[in-house]
Order: sequence, then C-alpha cells, then structure tokens
Amino acid sequence: MPRTEPNRVTLTIDGREIEADEGTMLVDAAREGDIEIPVFCYEPKLGEPVGACRMCLVEIEGIPKLQTSCSTPVRDGMVVHTRTGQVKEAQEAVVEFLLVNHPLDCPVCDKGGECPLQDISMGWGPDRNRMVDQKRHFEKPVPLSPLVAIDRERCILCYRCVRFSQEVSEDEQLQLLERGDGTYVGTFDDRPYIAPFQGNITELCPVGALTSYTYRFRARPWDIEQGGSVCTLCPSQCNVSFTVRDEQVVRVLARDNEEVDDGWLCDKGRYAFQAMYSEDRLLGPEVALDGHPTPVGWQEAAEAAATGLARAGSKTAVLVGDASNEEGYLLQRLLRQALGSTDIDSRRGPGLNGRSALALADPAISARISDIDTADLVIVIGTDPIQSAPSFDLRIRKAVRRNRTTLAVAADRPGALEAGAVEVARYEPGGAVAFVEKLAGQVKRGRAKAGIAGLIAESGQTVIVWGERIVRGGDGAAGALIALAEAAGLAEQEGSGLIGIPETANGRGLREAGCLPDAGPGLSPTGPGRDARAIREGLESGEIESVVLFGADPVRDLPDGDGWRRALEAADHVVAFSIARNESTEFADVLLPLESHAEKDGTVTHPDGRIQRVRPSARRPGEVRPAWMVLTELSAMLGVDTGIDSTPEALAALASAIPFYGGVTDSEIAGHGVRWQDRPAATSVGTPSPDLTLYADSPGPFNPHLAPGEGESAVENGAAVPAEELTPDSPTLTNGQLLLGTYRDLWADPAVDSSPALRFLTPAQRLELSGPDATRLGLRTGDEVSVRSGDESVNARVAVRAALPEGTCFLIEGTPADNANVLTSGSGGPVAVEIGPPEVRLDLVTAGGPVEGDEEA
Amino acid sequence: MKYEIEETRILLRHAEDPDLATIEGYRSYGGYDTWQRALREMDPDEIVNELEESGLRGRGGAGFSMGKKVSFLPRGEQSKYLCCNADESEPGAFKDRELMQRNPHQLIEGIAIASYAAGAGHAFIFIRGEYDVQADILDRAVAEAYDAGFLGKDILGSGFDLELVVHRGAGAYICGEETALLDALEGKRGNPRLKPPFPAVQGLYGGPTLINNVETLSNVSHIVANGAEWFRSFGTEQSPGTKVVSISGRVRRPGNYEVQLGVPLAGLIMGLAGGPPGDHQVKAFYPGGSSSPVLTPAELDLPYSFEAMAEAGSMLGSGSIIVADDTVSIPHMALRTARFYHHESCGKCTPCREGTNWTVKMLERVVRGEATPMELDIITSVQDNIVGHCLCVLGDSMAMPVSAMVRKFREEFEQVIAEAALASVPVAGGNGNGAPVEVPAFAEMLERDRLQGRPVPAAEQRLAGEVGDATD
Repeated sequence: MPRTEPNRVTLTIDGREIEADEGTMLVDAAREGDIEIPVFCYEPKLGEPVGACRMCLVEIEGIPKLQTSCSTPVRDGMVVHTRTGQVKEAQEAVVEFLLVNHPLDCPVCDKGGECPLQDISMGWGPDRNRMVDQKRHFEKPVPLSPLVAIDRERCILCYRCVRFSQEVSEDEQLQLLERGDGTYVGTFDDRPYIAPFQGNITELCPVGALTSYTYRFRARPWDIEQGGSVCTLCPSQCNVSFTVRDEQVVRVLARDNEEVDDGWLCDKGRYAFQAMYSEDRLLGPEVALDGHPTPVGWQEAAEAAATGLARAGSKTAVLVGDASNEEGYLLQRLLRQALGSTDIDSRRGPGLNGRSALALADPAISARISDIDTADLVIVIGTDPIQSAPSFDLRIRKAVRRNRTTLAVAADRPGALEAGAVEVARYEPGGAVAFVEKLAGQVKRGRAKAGIAGLIAESGQTVIVWGERIVRGGDGAAGALIALAEAAGLAEQEGSGLIGIPETANGRGLREAGCLPDAGPGLSPTGPGRDARAIREGLESGEIESVVLFGADPVRDLPDGDGWRRALEAADHVVAFSIARNESTEFADVLLPLESHAEKDGTVTHPDGRIQRVRPSARRPGEVRPAWMVLTELSAMLGVDTGIDSTPEALAALASAIPFYGGVTDSEIAGHGVRWQDRPAATSVGTPSPDLTLYADSPGPFNPHLAPGEGESAVENGAAVPAEELTPDSPTLTNGQLLLGTYRDLWADPAVDSSPALRFLTPAQRLELSGPDATRLGLRTGDEVSVRSGDESVNARVAVRAALPEGTCFLIEGTPADNANVLTSGSGGPVAVEIGPPEVRLDLVTAGGPVEGDEEA
Repeated sequence: MKYEIEETRILLRHAEDPDLATIEGYRSYGGYDTWQRALREMDPDEIVNELEESGLRGRGGAGFSMGKKVSFLPRGEQSKYLCCNADESEPGAFKDRELMQRNPHQLIEGIAIASYAAGAGHAFIFIRGEYDVQADILDRAVAEAYDAGFLGKDILGSGFDLELVVHRGAGAYICGEETALLDALEGKRGNPRLKPPFPAVQGLYGGPTLINNVETLSNVSHIVANGAEWFRSFGTEQSPGTKVVSISGRVRRPGNYEVQLGVPLAGLIMGLAGGPPGDHQVKAFYPGGSSSPVLTPAELDLPYSFEAMAEAGSMLGSGSIIVADDTVSIPHMALRTARFYHHESCGKCTPCREGTNWTVKMLERVVRGEATPMELDIITSVQDNIVGHCLCVLGDSMAMPVSAMVRKFREEFEQVIAEAALASVPVAGGNGNGAPVEVPAFAEMLERDRLQGRPVPAAEQRLAGEVGDATD
C-alpha cells in the first residue's frame, strides 16, 4: 500500500493545544508540543509498545486510571495532563521502584553522564531513598558475547534488548529468564550471543547494563565529541556518529536516518573502527627502493608516482575499490585527461557496464530503500543482504513483520531471508540472468498464477532488490531487469522500483563518477577501455605498464587472485593507495596511505541514489593526507590543472561533471543526504557530461571522436573488448564435478581482520554442500576437504546445507586464507570443481609430522 | 446472629453422583439437551441476548458481564477463539477444581454453547498444571463428547465446527491473567499483554477471543435451558445467580458451598463452614481470595454480593473466603500473602516486580523485629504506589490486602515488631541486613587506637559504650 497522508487531530496536553497525526502515540505527540514524558521501554524502532516500565503514565480526562502514554494513540479532543499530583506520584513511584534493585554504581558505570536512568531520576524521581534492604546481586559484569558485557545488577528490565533480538534482528537469542525480580536477560544455556547486529543493544540499553567491550572505561561523556558521518564499509552506507576522544574514534553509534538505515547499525560498522588504529594501517608514503618499501616524504613519493605514470602514459590503468565520489572522479580524470587512457574499473568482476547502468538509472524504475517499508511485495534477487548490505536485511524483515509485506527470494545460494519468504526460487550459480529473463517473460505474458510471477501479477507496490553479482551471469542482466520492471509496471506504480546492491560500498557513486571503462562522469559513454580482467591480462602481456590501485586489493577481492599476483608482479610500475598493507600493496612501487571513513571528507552515493556526505571526525594519523589533494597534485605534476583546491571545489566539480547531480551542494546534502532522483536535475539522465570535452585534448590514444553518443557503435565494432563478451557460459560438469558458486561473507573483510574485537568472526573457508552430494562423497559437516579447479585448489571445511540443490556448492570469496577467488576465472562466474582430500600445505607441516604418519601407515 | 442458610445447588447439583463425570451419567440428568436444542433452534444472537439478559457476571475475579463480553466479539467470518480459564491458582480458590472434577461435561456443554454464540471454531481449556487429576478427567470427557458427536466437524449436522483442546499450564499463577494465558497458550513466556487491544478484539493468535472462567461457562447451559428470567430469580439485582464459594482457613467445615449471591457472610462463614474451631473468634477474612482486602468481624453481616463487597472496600473476586481467627498473626499473614505474589510476579512491569520484592523484604524485617513503626508507613505508601500503576492486576492483588492489613491491624504490627525485637539479642549496631556489627572486636580496635594515642570519634565512642566527652 502506498504511503497515505494521515489525518491530523488536535488535542490538549497540559493546557497546550497540540496537533498530531492520527494514530501517533501520546508520548510522541507531547514531544511535538515540547512536553517531555519520560520513558524507558518505549522505543518505536522496536515495533509495538509493551508498556512495561510504567514510566510514562499520564492522566487522560474521562479515564479514571492513569494510562501509559507510549501505548495510547492520540484522539481528537483528548485532554491530557502530565504534571498533576497524581501523575507526579506515579512517576516518583516508578523511579523509586526502578532504583530498588539498581546498584547506583554510577561513578564506575560507563553510562554515567549519558544515562537515561540518571536523567529521569533527576528530572522525575523522588529526592529521597527509602529502601534500606539488600539489593539483588548478580555476578558482574559477565560476557554476553565477545563484544558485549552484561551487568545484570544495573538492568532495569525494560525489554529493549530482548525485543530487538526477537522483533528486529529476529535472531531470538536474547530471552528473559526466570521471573519477578529474579528476571534477567540472557541466552539459552548461557551460550554467547552471536548475531550480526548485537551492538545495537548497547545503544538501546537505557542504563549501563549492556556495554561494548571496545568502549568500557575508555571515556566519559565530557571528554568526547560526536561527529556525524556515513559508514562506508558496505553499500548500506548507514549513518553513523563517531565518538571521538583525543581526536581518535573510540566508538561508533547509529545516527537515525529513516531514509537510509532506520537507526540500526551492523557490528562491522560499529566495531571495525578499530582497524583505523591497527598495526597494519599505513601512516605515511613509501617507495620501493631496491625492492624494499622505504618511508619517504610526500613530495618524493608523489614524484616517484608521477614519474612512473608519465613514463607509462596511456599504458596506465586504474582499479578503484573503496573511494568517495570525488576521489573516483579525480582518478578517472587523472587517467583520462592527463594520461589519455580509459582503462579504469571499479567493479569486482563483470558488473554493470555504462550503458546498462544508464538504463537502470532511470528514476521512473528506481525505488528508494524506505519504499520497502510500505511495499506489497519485495523481491530479492541474487543477493543475501545479511552478507552484502546488512541494513537491507533488517529493513525487509521489518516490512514482512510489521507491514505483512509479501517477500519472494530468488538466489543461487540459500540466504537468511528465505525463512520469511512466501516464494523461494533457486537457480544454479551463473543462472541469474536466465532466471530474470524467464521471470520477465512470464510476467509479460501475464498468465502466471503461481510463483514469483504470480505474486507480481497480484501485487501493487513492488520493490525489487537485486545484487550486482547477478551480472556475473552475463550483462544481459540489466536488459532482463529492465524488461522485468516494464512487465511488472514498476514505473507506473508509486513506490515501486528496482534497487541494486553494488558489490562495493560506493559502487554506485563510483559508476556515476566515471570509474567505468566505457563511461565517464554521469555514465556518459566514452571510448571503451579495458575492464578489470582485461587490465590484468594487459599487465601480464605488457600492453599495460603501470597500474594505480586505489583502495583496491585485487589479489583478495577480484576473481583469479593468483592471476592478479602474476599481473602485479609483471607490472612495470604499481602505485597503490591503501588504508592498510595487504597482499596487493606488496607489489607497490609507490605506496600512498589513504584516510579512513572517519577522517575523509567527501560524498558517496547510496544504492538508491542518495548522495550522502562523509564528514571528517577524527585526526588523520601519521602523515596521512586527503586523497583528493594527492590526486590533484599528481594531476598537476602530469600537466593537468584541475583547479580544485578544496573539498567544496571537488564536490562542485563532481556535481557539474555529472549532469544528473546538477550542482548538488553540501547544504542540500546536509545531515541526511539527498536522493538525486528527487532533484530537478534528475531529468538530465543521459545528457553527456560537460567533462567529456576535457578529454578531447588528452595526449594518449584516447579517441576524442568516440565521445558523446558514439561509444555504442564502437563497442559493436569491437574496438575494444566489451564487458559482456567476457561472461562465460556455465561450465559443463564432468563426472563427479560440482558447480561452484561463491559469495562474499560479511566478515570476510580486511577491516574485520584488523579489528581485534571482530577478529573472532573472520571466516575460515567453508564448503557448502548439498545433502545428496555430501552423502555421495562420504562427507559430513566439519570434514576437511580440498576444492580443486584445474591447477588451483583451496582447503575448506564442509558445511552440509539442506536447502542447497544437488550438484552445486559454495565457497566464500575474500577470506584471508584459502580465498575462493583463486578458483574463479577472470569473469568470477561459476566453475566446475572437484572435491578431494585436503591439500597438505607446506607452511602447516611441522618437522617430521607427515613422515611419522607414513611410518605408522 | 442468624447463621443458618441453605445451599442452592445448580452447578453442584447431583455432584454426589460419581457417574456425573461420565457422558452417560451427565446425559441421564438431561445433559447436552440444551446444546442440541441450541444448535437446532437457536440463533447465536439469541443466545448472546439471553446471556446478556441473565446478568451473569464473570466468576473468575473481575465480575464483568459475560453476555457483554460475548457481544464485544466482532461478527463475521474470521478465526475466533474461546479460552476457558481453568488456571485456578489464587490462594483460597478451589471451586473450579470441584466443578471440573465432578461435572466436566457441564463445562464442555457451556463451552460449546458459548463458542456457538461467539462464532468461535476453536476452544481451549487452559488448566493449571497441578490439576493433574482434573485434566485427566477433562481429557476423558472431551474425548467422550467428540465420540458422541457434540464436538468436532459439522456437529449434529448443523454445519457448526468446534475443536476443543485441553491445555495444561506449567504452573505459573500469572497465566491465569487472561492475556498472559493467551501468550502461554501460544507457546510464549506467559506475560500479560498491554490492553488495549482487548482479547475480544485481538486475542489468541491475533484473532477475537472470548475468555471465561470455568464457573462462568458452567452456568451457560443452565441459563440457555431455563432462560434469563429464571437465572435472575436467584441472587441479587446486580449479582444474579448462585456462586460456588470456597471457604478455607480457620473454620470447622472448609469446602465448597453453592449459595445464592447476596446471602449474609456470617451465614457462609459461621453457618455453612461452622466458624472457627473451639472458642476462637473470627479476626479477619479475605472475602474473595488472597487478593481481596481483608474484612473484619464487623463486616460479617454484609450480604455476599459483588456490589456489597465493593462497597465495603474489598471485592468478591473469585468467591473464595479465607478465614483467620484470633490464633493467626496478621503480620505473618501479610508476609505470607506478599511472598506468594512476589514469587508469582512475572517481572514485566516495574511497580509489581520491584514493589512485591521490596514489600516482602520490609515485612520480613517487621516479623524479625528489625523494622520501626515508621516503616509501616513506608509499607502502606509502597502499596499505594503499586495500585493502579501496573500492567496487570497482580501487583494490586498483593498491594490491596497488605495495605488493608497494615491499616486495619496497625497496632498488631507494632506489637509484633516490639516483641520480635525484644526476643532477639540486642546488638549495638546493625545495617538492617541481618549482619550485626561485632561489638567486642570493634571495642578492641578502639582500645588499641586509644592506646596508640589516636583520637576516637565521638560517634564510635558511643557505639562502643564508652560515654565520654564528645570533644575528646
């Protein structure tokens, strides 16, 4: 059902006339009238009120008993009193009761100074203590999980954490155990609470009962500052507030933005800030001298980079991983304008090409993330949001739970949302495009009564969330999605549309900033350059001499990791911009440190098109400099004056280069961002970027006459290798082989590896097998095996999953060890694999170990 | 005082016949005739009207009009439920036990008729876990009713379906609270829900649900069989009908007595139950279960009806009278009552969770002699702070009787404190937690300090019994 405007009602609270939407809870309506009613258990983000704490009791004329204002919807003409003697008595009583068992250990409590219980006790409590008896005691604090400590003595049993676990993240692990004043929060059998969103409970807790181990005893409210920004660790781009002490981030809090994250934050976003201060962090530029990385000054490093790039000239390529829009814009400009190359890619494998991205950017078929809340039908295709963009997972769960939205899931790998789905469709790895094409056809013919097509036929507002990885099954994906959108009439229905979850945090922004081989800023077609795979091949063959890695770790993140190792080894000159050392930076001739997302100033674009600003909150450690500055300096050294001397100028340049960003300003973006589709400039989708003229004078082989509008014919003429031709067909399976699909696990992330608090979540490689295949191979969950494709193999532990169809298996991409990307070909598409006994790895063999074994045998 | 009153048996009629618990026995007295007639001849609305006209009030405690409750259920096609509350756990109440044990089919017939009137296709009997024998009897009776075709699909060819399930609780008093009962029935932790929405609108599994007590539902077949006017010929204007009253405590003949509402209390306590044994005198009594404020002998003349009990500042509740005579210590009775509710509080809402716990601790100190009379004021004030502020009525159920006992028997509380204090060895210090300061050791320390020339604080000197110059 589309959003409807609620009726307004007028009521009187404490003699003040207040207008509010019908159905608003009294406590919220009062706030609109600047009247504060204290609450503990009430938190609208958690769903229906429970009325447990009794703090919000008020007097309503005509009702003899006091009522909980958190659960009483406003009615027209209601007369409410929040300050009468009767109410005051009730408030004082409740505070007194809450303190009966509260230890009042405020001086050693982390919540002290930012504690609702302290505030409400001061504001509404009695100023005396009549309780002289023994308080209840628990062991304190005890670990609820490796991340969260629980102090049960401080707990006021407000239910918030338990409701979060049961009704928001739906992991259902937190429970109230025992009863009466012996009630306590815990898990079944005292098992650790392991769930990807558990950090939220520390923020929900209105007392110091739930605290993060990462923040305990680190700071007091008076020695911290809060800096609002955006988390760029995944495409969810949740809004965050960094708690900064001594110019360092010590905590990350959610910053409510209903249009982005709904006020939640995953544990990666909350705890991976530790990576900013890890030993692996690069603190200054380095240059490889005689093969040894040596710290140098910025000037020397920049000169070394510029010299190498100038030498390679148009034989330079750029790979972009995590970067802001401005950084991406400046990078592509450096490459296209100063070096005359157009070999740039920001995708992790075959992803959307410029043409497809442009077609899908049509505002008419684009949904916003909050449309999920009101949708009749949500279809998730080819992504498991809990892994790819966790806040989408919570959003979709919320729609199903509270709005009774129908959910359908289509994926190659069984995902977390499927339990709540009405329809689940399974296709084999690499089969996404065929699936979407077929679905579009069914919907178009309009005869389907069952399946997902049937649901589309009978539903109104429909939101389709799709993962960019489906493009690995062929670039026909975009065409199929558009056909599906047309057949389903998404453009005609308000609140309906597509949302694509890119593979990298700012995948959409980088695409739109021009980091694609066949599209410049604003997705304007340009002479097609090499994509990531062609760049790797070019490096190996020597056609490309120099490569710039910007926030990219191709050895870990891109398909064919070993191929990338060879390519970087073969490269004449590697400039690596990176936050931390990684496997790819080992090949760097020039290594330049990057800012973290708490230090950066720039914009990013949310998967639904919302331009958001990343604001600097913490000090850049060591010699780290803003990348936009380094890039403009490099440009200048290579003879191009960008005219950009500040971040506002960088944004202005970006905003004029992308026609549909049409001069967006920082004040428009403000705290909650602005969706470009909602601005007048949105009509400029498809208008060529004015920047294209800049590249016309470029020194290299960049072909100016290929600019606006002509790129397409060039692709068809085969002037370069278009992305879609690289996509392989599904491999044919020979006897005993399985079709391997891969997925990126949420925790397979360098920021997780470098955060001590999260390290326990770093996944070891696991092979997901179907039951029949496991039986055939004589394997059980936990067995160690090797997975082989050609000459490459990885070791993994078996996990048998009932929901997996026979003949397919899955591995995790991007693990620190046994990375599945060595098995995937350059396309990242599915491959045929054989399962065998685990490979003995030399680094694990202890002296004499295997020999002894042999003797015994 | 006239103590002689007569029982009026409707629900407990033929209760002495052991065969009544079987379907043959029940039918031999005309059982299930009304159910058959209702299905054949009566429109559900007609039954609802009859129930409303009869003025039957809920027998579980709240005393709300049963007919009105049924009429609150929305009409029309949707899944509706009936839940029979057989979680009789209130101290002093044992009438439902007898009704289920002796005459299970009377309840089943009542449930069937009420379900038909409410349009409910599923009914549940939520019986407390400890009522093992009664649950077995009900299980048997339900099976008999299914076999006889009085339950199940298309009952007696009427097209009306009714499934009846006997569900055993796990032994929590709170599950007798209607919304906690629903949660427990759904397989959740049995905690009360926020009202509104009321169960009649959104109850079991989110569907409209009628919840009634065993005794209430046992009345249904009689009202439908004999008409509202017949029912109104018993009892008082505002409390029509009969009531099975459980009388226990210090009386000669404890047990269940079915009487017309409005009979004098003295007739029940002194007459039917025989009053306290020997020469003992009634000191106080709970007129409606342990959650009702206690009354005193002065109130024995009152008629036993919903309205008279409310007027006396108490309530008829589930109709369970517990009598205390002059051998009973009221402060200990208050503590016993408070302990029960403290033990049974679910812990969901603050005033009940913390208030019951705090009250118990204070009353424990009272009976140990470690309280001051001033603390009796704190006890009553804490009770006032509980009443009306909770999510459900469990907190009030402790607060009202405890408060009434402290107010009505304050002198006895003060006396108990004084006597208990005298009986225990007086100590020179104490932190109120039962951990007395060890005086000799403390005095020794002081002595040592004095010898070493350190000044001894005046307060500590007094504590050690050395009355000296405060300026020392």
